[in-house]
Amino acid sequence: MSGTNRANSRPLSPHLQIWRYHATMFASITHRITGMGLYFGTFLIGAWLIALASGPETYALLEPAFTSIPGQVVLFVWTIAALFHFATGIRFLLWDGPHIGFEPKTASAVSVFLYVFAVLGAVAIWATILWL
Amino acid sequence: MVQLTLPKNSRVGKGKTWPKPQGATNLRQFRIYRFSPEENGNPRWDLYWVDLDKAGTMILDVLLYIKNNIDPTLAFRRSCREGVCGSCSMNIAGNNTIACTKGFDELPGGVISIAPLPHLPVVKDLIPDLTNFYAQHAYVQPFLKTVTPNPEKERKQSEEDRNELNGLYECILCACCSTSCPSYWWNGDKYLGPAALLQAYRWLIDSRDEATGERLDDLEDPFKLYRCHTIMNCAQVCPKGLNPAKAIAKIKKMMVERVS
Repeated sequence: MSGTNRANSRPLSPHLQIWRYHATMFASITHRITGMGLYFGTFLIGAWLIALASGPETYALLEPAFTSIPGQVVLFVWTIAALFHFATGIRFLLWDGPHIGFEPKTASAVSVFLYVFAVLGAVAIWATILWL
Repeated sequence: MVQLTLPKNSRVGKGKTWPKPQGATNLRQFRIYRFSPEENGNPRWDLYWVDLDKAGTMILDVLLYIKNNIDPTLAFRRSCREGVCGSCSMNIAGNNTIACTKGFDELPGGVISIAPLPHLPVVKDLIPDLTNFYAQHAYVQPFLKTVTPNPEKERKQSEEDRNELNGLYECILCACCSTSCPSYWWNGDKYLGPAALLQAYRWLIDSRDEATGERLDDLEDPFKLYRCHTIMNCAQVCPKGLNPAKAIAKIKKMMVERVS
């Protein structure tokens, strides 16, 4: 059928290639990425706990990995991800329960705040730890 | 399925740069998506110079200026030119909206890109195939369903109950919201999308409708309703200022409430 052939040859209109992002779309993607990051980060926490429970010798094997500069960077980024995901989780509660924060302007402002909260929160936590 | 890139036959190539109109001083460049089923080859971006002094105020005026003065082959849908018919919906400068209510002075500087609504099969130029979109609208049965005998006159509704429909009945089915939704891009065959779900909620919340239970049953599915991840693009782009994301959240809550 010629009609079917024509329908099959129709191109797909551009989507991600042309889309201009709103803050809410960025925050949604970041929520997913941080969720993935936290999933894999949990292995690190698990390894740390097992090492801790296995006694000082085992812990000494793992400690350099966590105290090295790359290790510290990973933990710092993990802190940001945890705070971001935590905050978006609360936002989901407000959305799905009392339906608060759905106005586009509010939602965009909250999305920007999520990033600020996650980064400043992580800096504050690390500054406190390093200072103590 | 998530596919971040376009299929081979859909990649947009470089097109033609049309000549500047004679004697114009207030020029602005527009980059417009072109595809014709009668020509072989991929879609392309054509560049047009538009004399803003002669092109009215809205993007629809710009398109009409191009069609009348530069290139009569440019195809797009339009009808009412005042934001009530939903025909001229398209992607303008990266976001979906209706061309007739978008002033070109509202847009960021530089070249303005105009493309069909995202992630749909293109019939010609700025005209996408909306068959699936309309089928989804039909699926939610957007009409009053009752079992009780018809009253002598009309089915009455209190003022409060009628107010529940505000922000829902105004939808003009332009498809800006559904085609703005990444979840709809990847799962448009199974996920109903914001427009159809807003309409579903419009009938779920109608105090006169007596099919609430069946309506909820029809949405109880991993895809039809629950692919909404509150990305919020729908509410960000709706040219009528409606909030499909909120309507979807309310349907989800109705699902929970009827179980508990």
